Amino acid sequence: MIQKISWPFLLIVVFASCQKSKTEKSAYPDHVGDIAFDEKTDDPNFKICLNGRIPQYYEFGKSLQYKGEKPAIDKHFEILKQNESTAESGYITIRFVVNCEGKTGRYRIEEMSNDYQPMSFDKKLVEKILTLTRELNGWIVGGDQAHPVDYYQYLTFKIEGGKLIEIMP
Amino acid sequence: MTKSMLSASRLVFVFLLTSLALVAFAEPNCNIYKMENNMPCYEACVLATTGGGEQGSRKSQEKFDKAIEQCPALDYAYMEKSVPYLKRGEFITWKKLIDKAVELNPTLHLGYRGWCRYQFLRDYRGAIKDFERLDTLFPHDIGYSQNGDYQLTIVKALCYSAIGEKDKAITIIEAQLGKKGYSPMVYDYLHLGVLKMETEDIAGSIESLTRSIALNDYLAEPYYYLGLIYKSKNLKAEYKSAMEKAKAYYLKGYKRFDPYTHPMHKVYLGDIDNELSIAQTF
Repeated sequence: MIQKISWPFLLIVVFASCQKSKTEKSAYPDHVGDIAFDEKTDDPNFKICLNGRIPQYYEFGKSLQYKGEKPAIDKHFEILKQNESTAESGYITIRFVVNCEGKTGRYRIEEMSNDYQPMSFDKKLVEKILTLTRELNGWIVGGDQAHPVDYYQYLTFKIEGGKLIEIMP
Repeated sequence: MTKSMLSASRLVFVFLLTSLALVAFAEPNCNIYKMENNMPCYEACVLATTGGGEQGSRKSQEKFDKAIEQCPALDYAYMEKSVPYLKRGEFITWKKLIDKAVELNPTLHLGYRGWCRYQFLRDYRGAIKDFERLDTLFPHDIGYSQNGDYQLTIVKALCYSAIGEKDKAITIIEAQLGKKGYSPMVYDYLHLGVLKMETEDIAGSIESLTRSIALNDYLAEPYYYLGLIYKSKNLKAEYKSAMEKAKAYYLKGYKRFDPYTHPMHKVYLGDIDNELSIAQTF
């Protein structure tokens, strides 16, 4: 009798554990570029409105959406063009979420050399770029007025000799 | 020919060019592997080219991994797997994957990699390297950009202009425009006009920008740059009129646009408004 009850139970346990390990083993998030909340670094008060997949900025077919367009962003970071010369060149990319209120959070940083290898820039420069990125307050919400949605955005800063050269995308 | 007929023929022209670019980057023909009796690669190719998760989803990325595991030489799977990393700003991972695709099939992926280096990263020197390597593989025509906007030789010229070699860029563009059988793409003359303006060939610039308008009168940009030239020549009425036209076109949506990035020589409403306010007191 005990055996008759145990077998189905065991099968359920094995099936459940297989499902769990399959999820754990995946090298990928639900979607490439997803930024999961990290309680160590992210603001717990930053609100995500969508209950599901957060789209990328380009999925709205409007390119980057900012009040004053790209020139307003370029102007905001202009101070970095006057930086002191250093030997550092490459790219600093900051990925983040623009929520349905146009506020930003969940910043993630990727530092890359000109030959596309991971590198570390001077911490002060990275911190300066992050602070200036946090200060940007002209993001236009995704979706429409009736249905505003969050989205992922990134900014890539091309650095040559410690100075800002261009901002992408 | 009426203006509406001209407009329609231009749209057809742009559509054909875009289609050509897409055809140039179509999915592989898996049957080639079957004909070679290479069934693991045939099955991997079928797996990689059939549906299975939206771009960048875990399901889709794992599908490409399975295909690569089964057929490590399947360049298409590496290339497709790389795309979401590029679009979403994870460039280190993108580069590793696209490099693998290029290593396996340089003739197919070099032009695409060069274009992406230009479009997403403004990696002008890296893009030039890819295009010049492609020149050695395809001396007559190195193909078109992924979005269908450019023949890649023109992009190579834009890369040279961005690293300060503007005269060289002009020479490359003019040589491409003069090639037998080459039909100018919609932004070729716009870039040529801007470069000539920047190198102070004013007559050449006006000529190129005017040709840009004749080829595609759905852009604010040539009017804006013509306006700058008129301003420099102190032609007040022409300056104001060109800027007003640029603004009207911009507001109608007649402007350079790319859903992912900001194209070179694109103008913005703030730039035009600024010139219009100067024009009021000029």
